[in-house]
Amino acid sequence: MRKFHALAASLAFTCSIPLALAAEGTVAISSPTEGAKFSPKTDIELVYDISLGDKGDHTHLYIDEKEILTLRNLKGSQSLGTLAAGKHEICVKVVNKAHTPIGPQKCVNVSVEA
Amino acid sequence: MFENLNYALVQLVHNFGAAAVVGFPVLGWYISGQASPVLRKFAWIVGLSWAVQAMSGAGFGVVSYYYYQVFPDLHGVAFTALLIKILCAAGGVYIAAKYLRQSAAWTPKQRRNAWRLLSLLGVTALAAAAFLRWYA
Repeated sequence: MRKFHALAASLAFTCSIPLALAAEGTVAISSPTEGAKFSPKTDIELVYDISLGDKGDHTHLYIDEKEILTLRNLKGSQSLGTLAAGKHEICVKVVNKAHTPIGPQKCVNVSVEA
Repeated sequence: MFENLNYALVQLVHNFGAAAVVGFPVLGWYISGQASPVLRKFAWIVGLSWAVQAMSGAGFGVVSYYYYQVFPDLHGVAFTALLIKILCAAGGVYIAAKYLRQSAAWTPKQRRNAWRLLSLLGVTALAAAAFLRWYA
């Protein structure tokens, strides 16, 4: 009986390892902040901090659902240039090697007002 | 674990398909001056390989959709490269099929042109794959 318990415990531990180690990716955008307002002449700077997790490979940056570029660094800043007047959504999504968004993402809405 | 295995198996098929759609046409072009029955076999291989390329290419999307319910996200240069690859695959299947059905009545020059065109399609698709990989 003792051996059975030991075996069950070791099996449970072994099976739980992948779950414990399966790190989810995260995306944080510290700038611009949600709801930020800019003038059409302002260069907007994206400041981000990304963890790819186990299944992530790189990230895609989107403005208004259009992919702009791949962020090569996991932490840093990226100039977005100026944006046309109106509301815009800026998103960073973690994707896998097949360029498929796998879940972790962060979006902020900003508006550019003349 | 199985997700990576599935992607890898699709990639495996796609890589060998890529080798076939470039290698056999170039070889066919090289020996197209001869009236060799092996060229018909090459045409079968090339046509089927292009079909395999189309299916394995779609396989990447299928695996992505199975695991994440979304397709790979391709825009701009990468999307254009994908379209070029799809057109190459369609062209490759078409020319290979045409070769198998009509080449007996073709002149040696027409046969050589067919292999030249198949080579061009293979090389173009392979080049587009590089842009698809790094612009996505």
